[in-house]
Amino acid sequence: MKIKQQEPASLQQQTTPMIDVTFQLLTFFMFTLRIVGPEGDFNINMPPPGGGAAKAEILPDIKVRLLADPNGNLVSLKLGDRQLGIGPGAFQLLNAEILKLVGGANAARSTDIEVEIDADYNLHFDNVVKAIGACTGRLGPDGKTIIRYVEKIKFAPPKTNPDV
Amino acid sequence: MKFRSPPMPSAEMDMTPMMDLTFQLISFFMMVTNFDQTQVDERVRLPTDALAKPPEVRVEHQLVVNIGYKRAKDGTRLDPQPFVFLQGEELRIPEYRSRLQQEARIYQAKEVNLNDVTVVVRADSDVPSGQVQEFIKMSQDAKFEKFTLRAQQPID
Repeated sequence: MKIKQQEPASLQQQTTPMIDVTFQLLTFFMFTLRIVGPEGDFNINMPPPGGGAAKAEILPDIKVRLLADPNGNLVSLKLGDRQLGIGPGAFQLLNAEILKLVGGANAARSTDIEVEIDADYNLHFDNVVKAIGACTGRLGPDGKTIIRYVEKIKFAPPKTNPDV
Repeated sequence: MKFRSPPMPSAEMDMTPMMDLTFQLISFFMMVTNFDQTQVDERVRLPTDALAKPPEVRVEHQLVVNIGYKRAKDGTRLDPQPFVFLQGEELRIPEYRSRLQQEARIYQAKEVNLNDVTVVVRADSDVPSGQVQEFIKMSQDAKFEKFTLRAQQPID
């Protein structure tokens, strides 16, 4: 009698479920990916409400005044009493003036000097951030390191809402 | 004479290269996905500044607060007043006062000193700066002391 040899069972693994899960994972990561620039922080030195204990001031604060129109757009940037204008040029000028006042990048005085940002109530927040950035310093030649001018930045006491 | 039919060629496709590529794509997406940004709200359009560098040292305790506007798809504001965006909830800035006090109590219950907690303000570019200051004042009333303003680096 001729005995027919049984065909060996297929050793191939079933890959379909793995492929399904893999594609689901791929789809999830593709949809959740958000291409945004990295976020960074500016530290704000806020005096406690009510003024707190009077500090021994070594150097007077540098006052930066930002004035806004009723729509919240910047109409004037002032360093002390000096008018610096508006637009990106004004913030560049502010950056240069702060450097002069501090006495050079990373100077010892930069840790003692404090900048007070005094903005109108309805001024758009991005102008305040630009002013803080201009006072903080500039990027080094490598485009990565920050050359600091001023370490301490604070806000002037909040103004009242003109619409109330 | 008995003819033996030749075996049929396999119709199964070789999936190995496709799987390799798919796993590489998954690895790429996993690496570029930032799971740390769970507290950020996409509706907030942060101001941009080149000096906004991510902190070198990770802050242990931080309270991220998103302040922005409800906007239509074309970017126009649906409401003139800004909101504090929470997960699935939107509050006016003054309404957030009780939440701040609640957060302060939670930190105190965990025996975390409020001096060690940084309040990260993620405010929209168009929010009036006076309202951001009012929010900081509210946080100070709730005994928070450290504040940072978040900005975004410009995308080249």
